[in-house]
Amino acid sequence: MNIIELSEPLHEIIFFLLEIGVILGSLGVVLFNNIVYSAFFLGLVFSCISLSYFALNAEFVAAAQILIYVGAVNVSIVSAVMLINKPNSSKMFPSWAIGDKITFLICSSLFLLLVSVISNTPWSNITLITESKALLEVDFTKNVQHIGYLLLTQFLLPFELLSIILLVALIGAIVIARRENFVKTNRKRELQIKKDFTVF
Amino acid sequence: MLEHVPNLGAYLFCIGIFGLVTSRNMVRALMCLELIFNAVNINLITFSNSFDTQETKGEIFVIFIIAIAAAEAAIGLAIVLAIYRNKNSTRIDQFNLLKW
Repeated sequence: MNIIELSEPLHEIIFFLLEIGVILGSLGVVLFNNIVYSAFFLGLVFSCISLSYFALNAEFVAAAQILIYVGAVNVSIVSAVMLINKPNSSKMFPSWAIGDKITFLICSSLFLLLVSVISNTPWSNITLITESKALLEVDFTKNVQHIGYLLLTQFLLPFELLSIILLVALIGAIVIARRENFVKTNRKRELQIKKDFTVF
Repeated sequence: MLEHVPNLGAYLFCIGIFGLVTSRNMVRALMCLELIFNAVNINLITFSNSFDTQETKGEIFVIFIIAIAAAEAAIGLAIVLAIYRNKNSTRIDQFNLLKW
């Protein structure tokens, strides 16, 4: 069930605008010298991708993308950029070395290969097969409840392992990034704790 | 219509690989890695929408990918901050202490 019932040309126009946003945003992430611009263009890419998830009938994943990617990952990246940014050049776009040009050739050839594979796949045959199969099954509308049901029955083990991964990542990131307290002896042979104040 | 979104995913993937290989800043490499994850997610959601509308297995896989990418970004940024605290530079080609 579509969350937005739109006419077909409006659907196409919205998709076109979102694709333009993603294309320009990803170019901005890669090409800018100033890394703060790159971080904000990354936020633009995440938001455009989330809006296209809404148009692709994936409402829960769109909300999760906004919350997690824009709200947590992008904010962490921007805060890390603010802490370690040293602006050292006044040009907007960096000049390319010879390795950059070779990588550009390889990546563009990879892109052309992928596009040719996608355009040579008979998509209409596959949609015919899956739609004829879907007519035979029980038709209940897909919604967030079904995702929750699958997460707790069929995908229970990955779900629990994911929670363990998140716990370990949380503890590990705090342990790695906290500041060190140095313990040293001063002249009176006493142990003294010296705090490291160089970075926050 | 169906072909445009995997094309967009392929474009994001190639731009992500290009940025990851040619970036001289560590945080930009992490940002391009997130672009690669999003390219894969777009493909999975498109195929789940077109071929698997009853059981949304593609969406569940995307949920797992989003969570793991967030955990990995957090740990990557913690490592970047620890390295910057010790060496006071963010150039990715100067961290060759583990090279033989």
